[in-house]
Amino acid sequence: MRVQLESGKRSSPLREMLHTAALGLLLVPATAKAGDPTDRVDVTSLLYGEQGRTQVIEPVVRFTHLWADGQSVSAQLAVDVITGASPTGALPSGVVQTRTSASGRVITSAAGAIPMAPFQDHRVAFDGEWQKPFSRIFTSTVGGHFSREKDYQSLGVNAKLSTDLMNRLVTITIGGGINHDSVFPVGGTPIGLSDGIVVHSGSNSKEVKNVLLGGSRILTRRWMMSVNGSQTFESGYLTEPYKVISLMNPVTGAPVGQLTDKRPSTRNRSSVLLSSVYHLNDDVLYTSYRYYWDTWSVRSHTIDIKYRRDLDTDTYLEPLVRYYRQTAASFFTVGLEQGAPLPDFATSDYRLGRLQTITLGATYGTRFEDIQGDWTLRAQYMRQFGDSSPPNAIGIQRNFDLAPPVNIVAVVIGYSFGY
Amino acid sequence: MIRRMVQVCRLMIALALLLSAGCATVHPWDRDLLAEKKMSFIPSPMLLAVDEHIYFSKEASTGGMDAGGGGCGCN
Repeated sequence: MRVQLESGKRSSPLREMLHTAALGLLLVPATAKAGDPTDRVDVTSLLYGEQGRTQVIEPVVRFTHLWADGQSVSAQLAVDVITGASPTGALPSGVVQTRTSASGRVITSAAGAIPMAPFQDHRVAFDGEWQKPFSRIFTSTVGGHFSREKDYQSLGVNAKLSTDLMNRLVTITIGGGINHDSVFPVGGTPIGLSDGIVVHSGSNSKEVKNVLLGGSRILTRRWMMSVNGSQTFESGYLTEPYKVISLMNPVTGAPVGQLTDKRPSTRNRSSVLLSSVYHLNDDVLYTSYRYYWDTWSVRSHTIDIKYRRDLDTDTYLEPLVRYYRQTAASFFTVGLEQGAPLPDFATSDYRLGRLQTITLGATYGTRFEDIQGDWTLRAQYMRQFGDSSPPNAIGIQRNFDLAPPVNIVAVVIGYSFGY
Repeated sequence: MIRRMVQVCRLMIALALLLSAGCATVHPWDRDLLAEKKMSFIPSPMLLAVDEHIYFSKEASTGGMDAGGGGCGCN
């Protein structure tokens, strides 16, 4: 049947419909065949901006070569250019604060404002992947990764094996990856919970290992669901070297100094993700829910909903909404009281505090008659809410918004074509 | 470590049993809609990668979607 459907070069709606039906009968991934492109290029460009904070531009290009047996090899290059400022972790004091950054710059923060540190960096990342189906029901994937930025390097490999069972109603996937990262902070690595005394200027290692077990099932002619469980084991230098924690006067709450951030040297992360894809008459509803927990006592819930509406055969609109909520890490604190015994670990990084993120956005996809390929435009607005009045805020700290909302806009432009 | 993996596996098995319970067989000739490109858990891997990178740098949670992935000093 495949030969009959593919022998001609002309394309017609009936032919495409029959081809789709044939793929449905076999339910195997589409593979390159005579006349089909065997090479594909995907390009995306991210424009990311936080109000008054970080700005990022990230172009990504990916080349994929596809063989007739379903085998494929891809290579990807990404470049991040990051500028702007991020919160240091210090508390507002009600008066103008100044501090000296690791690179020697003097930083001034307005009275009552969360102190920020300006920074700029760029990151270059290479990714490669080889996918090969075999024995009709197995697909293996092997990948590698290398990235480098001013103070961080990551080198990793990963592998995955999927198998189809029960007449391809069920797919089971098992995978894993290992990353060996190095952290080499600008200005040296400070002792945790110190006033910034530099220990050494070399690099600190960080190991990340993860395993994934997943299963998906076709439930009805229109509906399929999947469940993924993942475990990640991190060890080594997990501290954020540029973050600080304010020392507060135990009565007035006024900042009288600051200590460096210190986090545990191990972190085990677990998550379970439940996903559903449902085909309505023409539209498709994507939903997912993830529960996450780790050994730093962070627990989170994530709900993600997308609704794809086909406007015509070449154009679609896909609104999306996402809600995320996390608890604080056990060692998160807005500040430490002067004179009190120091804890083993402490951070004031708002990303490890209580946090909610709401995302609203939409993706628009289209094709142009005179230009080959698929165009995609995604725009998202995100708003993060922290704990503005945490219970251990004392004195003047109760007068300040200690976690002002963060407004973020992210736009992604994508273009894909085969040749 | 082993105890946590067993915990995740137990939860997954429970969910998998829920998924498979009482589901009718969908014959191959009834899978025309499922064969459409948009009927995928990850219809746009490149967009997903961008989103995962953003959320990884702004939130304390990560994982669940895929094995591997590149490291980053952004969190």
